[in-house]
Amino acid sequence: MTSMQAISGASRRVASRKLMVGIYWAFHTALAAMVALPLMGAAVSVLSHSRYATEIMRGFDVMWLFEALSASRNLPSPMVLPLFLLALLLAVKGGVFLNGGAVKLLVHDEIGYSPREFYEGCGRNYWRFLRLMLYSLFFYGFALAIGASITKAAGKIWGEGLEERPLVFAGYLKNAVQILLCGFVATAMDYAKVRLVADDSRQSLRAAFGSVRLAWKNKGTVMGVWLVLLLLWAAATLVYVQVANRIQAVTIGSILALIAWQQLYVLSRVWLRMTSWGAAAELDPVLRPRQMPPEETAPVLVEVAAGPPVLEAGAEAEPEAGTQQ
Amino acid sequence: MKLPIAILLAGAICCAEPSRPVASYDIKASLDPKTHIITASEELTWLNDSPDTVSTLQFHLYMNAFRNSQSTFFRESGGQLRGDKFKGEDWGWIEIRKMQTAGGADLTKGLRFIHPDDDNAEDRTVAEIALPQPVMPGETLRLAIGFQTKLPPVFARTGFRKDFHLAGQWFPKIGVWEKAGFRFSKQGAWNCHQFHANSEFFANFGNYRVELTVPSNMVVGATGEQIAKAASAAAGTGTYTFQQDMVTDFVWTAQPGYLREERMFLADRETTQAEVAAAARLHGIPESEARLSDVKMIALVQPEHREQMDRHFHALRSAIKWFGLWYGRYPYKTITVLDPPHGAEGAGGMEYPTFITAGTMYKLPPESRTLEEVTVHEFGHQFWMQLVATNEFEESPLDEGFNTYSTAKIMDRVYGGIGQLPLKFFGVNVYSLLKLPLLRDESMNRAGYVTQPAIDDMLRQAWQYYDGSSYSLNSYMKMSVTLRTMENILGADVMARIMRSYHQRWRFNHPTARDFQAVVNQVSGKNMDWFFDQFFFGNRLLDYRVGDVTSVQRKTPIGVYEKGGKTVTVTKKQGEEQDKKNDDDKKFKKEYLCTVKVRRMGDAVAPVDIVIRFKDGSTEKRAWDGEYRWVKYTFIRGSEIDWVEVDPERKYQLDVNYANNSWQDRYQVEVSAGWTGNLLFWMQNLLLWATSLA
Ligand SMILES: [Zn+2]
Repeated sequence: MTSMQAISGASRRVASRKLMVGIYWAFHTALAAMVALPLMGAAVSVLSHSRYATEIMRGFDVMWLFEALSASRNLPSPMVLPLFLLALLLAVKGGVFLNGGAVKLLVHDEIGYSPREFYEGCGRNYWRFLRLMLYSLFFYGFALAIGASITKAAGKIWGEGLEERPLVFAGYLKNAVQILLCGFVATAMDYAKVRLVADDSRQSLRAAFGSVRLAWKNKGTVMGVWLVLLLLWAAATLVYVQVANRIQAVTIGSILALIAWQQLYVLSRVWLRMTSWGAAAELDPVLRPRQMPPEETAPVLVEVAAGPPVLEAGAEAEPEAGTQQ
Repeated sequence: MKLPIAILLAGAICCAEPSRPVASYDIKASLDPKTHIITASEELTWLNDSPDTVSTLQFHLYMNAFRNSQSTFFRESGGQLRGDKFKGEDWGWIEIRKMQTAGGADLTKGLRFIHPDDDNAEDRTVAEIALPQPVMPGETLRLAIGFQTKLPPVFARTGFRKDFHLAGQWFPKIGVWEKAGFRFSKQGAWNCHQFHANSEFFANFGNYRVELTVPSNMVVGATGEQIAKAASAAAGTGTYTFQQDMVTDFVWTAQPGYLREERMFLADRETTQAEVAAAARLHGIPESEARLSDVKMIALVQPEHREQMDRHFHALRSAIKWFGLWYGRYPYKTITVLDPPHGAEGAGGMEYPTFITAGTMYKLPPESRTLEEVTVHEFGHQFWMQLVATNEFEESPLDEGFNTYSTAKIMDRVYGGIGQLPLKFFGVNVYSLLKLPLLRDESMNRAGYVTQPAIDDMLRQAWQYYDGSSYSLNSYMKMSVTLRTMENILGADVMARIMRSYHQRWRFNHPTARDFQAVVNQVSGKNMDWFFDQFFFGNRLLDYRVGDVTSVQRKTPIGVYEKGGKTVTVTKKQGEEQDKKNDDDKKFKKEYLCTVKVRRMGDAVAPVDIVIRFKDGSTEKRAWDGEYRWVKYTFIRGSEIDWVEVDPERKYQLDVNYANNSWQDRYQVEVSAGWTGNLLFWMQNLLLWATSLA
């Protein structure tokens, strides 16, 4: 199976479970709103009756940002940071929970989306996935350490020089390596999730290491999927930015259009993430053939005759159509 | 006809005493590129330009700031400046090997270190010697000084990195003798401050001639004009002679790798006849006086910044042109801009007479005008610091702040501000891609100011601000915002005349903020002391806001009234019935009792304008003296109040909160929807990154 086949299979799996995409979107939106609404509430209460607000809307002025910052020192801003951290924590924990359901439905293609099946998967896989996430930090840390060592080495070689250029290019290299490695770890962890679900196993550590090994062995296919999805994300971002830059969000209609466009972009990101899991689910049985349960009886040895097989007459006599010149 | 009188007055006010060279130097120096030690002999000619008999001399020995971790500079800076850190393995110093009078008297042994600004006995940046014979009024003293200077690794303006050298504050430099009445002086005394983290400039004008001997592979740049060059093949050195009259300091640089390019600023090509005529008209001067002169521009650029060569020249041309047209022609024949190499960024963004250091980065996007900003700003110091040689130790906003104000005007005019910040990913200009808002200098200055608007008096000794950020906030942004506010109060033309008059009157001299105040009052013809007291010398916080605004429909009056000699009683019920009738009557003209309260939230008092707009389109304007804590205006109108604005022209850039300066009746749903939508979107994306870990 090629990367593209895996992606198209995955797309089909995701497309037939649109509600699941909706749950993910709603989850991220709710947590984002938890932070955004009080913060904006404070800002809007100051600005919604100020003529300055429309002025800033037309051409955002950095002056106001600082004015707001200095004014907010006495406002409920101390509340914002804890709220933000809480949202992050809930996002990660909630994300781990929802992943259990999503990966389950993507692996077991035969089960269509139903809340019961979905949340059953969430509950069943929660602790396995949580442990897996903690183990994954080790691999991410390793990836970051390699990036840091590139920076350090570049600093040693060129840091004392009078040119910035080699350091800039070393920075590119470091970024590229880091993105690639983090992408690899993220992909391997997708396979680990799929493995835990497919095997209905609790052995997160074994799954983590096994999947890293598996992904490494099949890096062409596996990272091919990752690269295609990365390019799709980059394309989506580019299209989003180009269109968003063109929307003059000053009237209520244009503002709503921008908000809709933004949400479409968020949905595309959720979609891509699910496709990544779907592709892992497509490829997992191919890359990691299921071990058949051991047979009850001992295998019977069959004797094979030595020498070339005897061809029966006629086997050569009838040429197949189209082979003749 | 107020203005011509003001101009006449400005012309009539006598200029400050004409300045003449007081401290002149003839130095022969050679650089050892391996040890980074400069060995030199200096001939100092000092004129006692005062009625005092002077029996001691004081010298700046500023390289001793880098001698150890106990110097005042190190204690104040903590061994880091503007983000660059001292690594601690190699120090800098200056030693006077010999000091001798023209008569042959050896003064070397009498040298002792003093610390006029603090009680730091470890600081060796100022030295004093007692003279065997005092210098009489009008007498000239000649001293021969032999000295050695070891450059430190560059992190704070001066020093070396590999074979790059920038020698600033490198020679024994005499302090300023201030006679009674000169600046703040009550009696004749030396003004010779120690080297501080945030201030280093105050000196008399003088004539400099400096001979520099460096390895022959090095490209050299320095203050002034290069008048001679000789090479010694045997020694493998080149000797460059530079000369400049009427400057306050001398700096030089040497590095093998520089790309050196010269271009001419041709005054008649760079300025149009109309521009010169406009300047002449505005300032009431003949065109010959408004015309600029030609300047040789020299750029020393790092090879990896080759493509930015044009940008340096463009910035220089803009600066020479506009500073010249606004304040008076640049009087020197050369200006050199140096682009320090990677790792020597600490040497960047500095000003010396006819020599400035810029700052950039590899492949700086053209849309990011930080290079131009630095070049224009440092050039601006030729006008504010060098030609008008204020005391940076005692009144740093007079150079940094005046210059920030001027720089912003040029940047916003020529380049539309700083533009984009250099935000790149894999060489791609992300700032441009995301169409982030372009930054204007004027906005950036106010943005900085509002974060700590009243943390210190704006004018203080540079080392006595609350902290480093208060120093820069007050020295740069607050003064700029204060001058901009003054411009808005007095009008752009009057302000332009003030700035030119102040500059011309104090060119080649040493004014204080009080001298500027005098020029402002005289040229504007207004008493602006209230402004100076609160904002220049005080730290008042300016904040006016719209308070409660109400529009209440008038009801039928009830109660007992005398009407036509009769007593009439209107009951509550009768009143209500009449109100109802009025409501149903389409021809009835409703009346509203409209009240507006405007409040003074800060401790600064300033007259403000107030505009009240009604929904029928009519407008009322009020001028409030702004003194009491609030003012109330009442109107009886046929329609409700639409909006109210205090200081509608936004004259007071010093106002710390613009958002509360206006109130409008309509709730702006676009504001809440638009901003909430955006913030929600960014939060969603952030959380998506977080959950990608899950
Ligand atoms: Zn400056």
